[in-house]
Amino acid sequence: MNLLLAESGAPHTPLGHVLDKPVFAEWLSVGEIGTMSTQILTMLLGAALLLFIMPRVAGRIATGPESAGHDRYITRGRLSQVVEVMILYLRDTMLVPVMGEKTTRKYLPFLMSLFFFILTMNLIGLVPMADAQNIIGKFGWGDDHWSVIGGTPTSNINITAGLALISFIVIQVHSFRELGVRGFLEHLTCDLTKGPKFLWLVVPVIFVVEVAGVFIKPAALAIRLFANMVGGHVLLATLILLPGFLPIEGLGRTGVIVVSAGAAVLITFMEIFVAFLQAFIFMFLTAVFISLMSHHDDHEEHESHDAHGEVTDLQPAH
Amino acid sequence: MLRLMNIIAAAGEGGSEPSLMDPNLLANVTGIVVFLVALVVLWLFVWPKITQGLDDRNDKIISEIQSAEEAREQAKSALADYEQELAKAREESSRMINDARAQAKELADELRAKNEQELAERMARANADIESAKSAAVADIHSQAAVLATTIAGKILQREINPGDQQQLVEESLNELGSRN
Repeated sequence: MNLLLAESGAPHTPLGHVLDKPVFAEWLSVGEIGTMSTQILTMLLGAALLLFIMPRVAGRIATGPESAGHDRYITRGRLSQVVEVMILYLRDTMLVPVMGEKTTRKYLPFLMSLFFFILTMNLIGLVPMADAQNIIGKFGWGDDHWSVIGGTPTSNINITAGLALISFIVIQVHSFRELGVRGFLEHLTCDLTKGPKFLWLVVPVIFVVEVAGVFIKPAALAIRLFANMVGGHVLLATLILLPGFLPIEGLGRTGVIVVSAGAAVLITFMEIFVAFLQAFIFMFLTAVFISLMSHHDDHEEHESHDAHGEVTDLQPAH
Repeated sequence: MLRLMNIIAAAGEGGSEPSLMDPNLLANVTGIVVFLVALVVLWLFVWPKITQGLDDRNDKIISEIQSAEEAREQAKSALADYEQELAKAREESSRMINDARAQAKELADELRAKNEQELAERMARANADIESAKSAAVADIHSQAAVLATTIAGKILQREINPGDQQQLVEESLNELGSRN
């Protein structure tokens, strides 16, 4: 650890691999605190890929032409099937029990867009684009820090904050539409005003905590996603750079290289899992916050829905 | 986590050093805009198709299950009908067999009775024939005997009878009788 800190000023640091790097700053910058960067370009690439792939996937999942017979209900293609399975699982097993059938239908496009957007950004960060450019730069013109595009867009706090801001707006708009201003304020007192009179004493405290919670929830979303992505990549970079930090030579060094490279491969697999997990958590917590800001009768509806179990999942759309 | 905080803190201490927490308004705004564009495109062109496809398949599966259930119900009722019909037919056929058997028995009884009657009649007739033939024969014998006796008596009366004649006469008469029979 001390080694890492001591080396933090040096060209190769684990942190250097997760830091955003300004590019084309001469042409594209907004004031003092806004410059074009590699992670922004990676995000644009990821969004382009997402918007290129998803309509094709949708075309395959959608019901085919009448002429195809029974085959028109069958999804073909591995990616399409994977996407379909994910959507079905998230919708029927995760979102419907939390939000209820009706609210899920309403927010499914937003939540699925959020999930697949974050997932794409998480996964594209695992593609070593910047590293490939570093190699090209090193052998091309001796600049082993040259890269234009690369990195994980979701390991940029600015980008995760933007996504959290959108979640925040969606949650608040839902709250006000569902509960009204009065209902919203009552919700922020946990409905204690309807309870015994002496509870009025704690209402101000609860109110302050709940108001803070309104802002803390999306902030936590942003920081959670950002920190998980940064953490994984820092760990990966540490493992890969580890042999370079060690003052040993010869066979010992080779051993360390083999072990740390193997560990890096395993951690990369774990990072793929984390990419899915964090996309899911961001999306799912947004859904939970939306459902928390719904009418209480809704919750009863959920419970009755749960009682029906799996069978209701097959019910057609209302 | 602590390590990460240390790294972040260490990176932040440098002042001019780039930090993970550096604000970048362009990244923020681009992130929001790009997500919103993606959201709109996906909302318009992707999710309706996918949800429609999934719903269509759900509806299809439900309707298939329902129609399969209906078909099963129909098959069940058809089977019940068929079994009922079968039982009825079985009953009918056994009744018919019994009827036929009874009829056959009746007919056989009738035939047997008729035969017996006929046989008795025939036997009676035969007996009567025999009786009449017997009585006719006896009558014949009687008449023959009478004629013979008369003839013998005539012959006896016509000539003198010596023991030789007598013997001859008797033989003649017997021959006559024998040739007549």
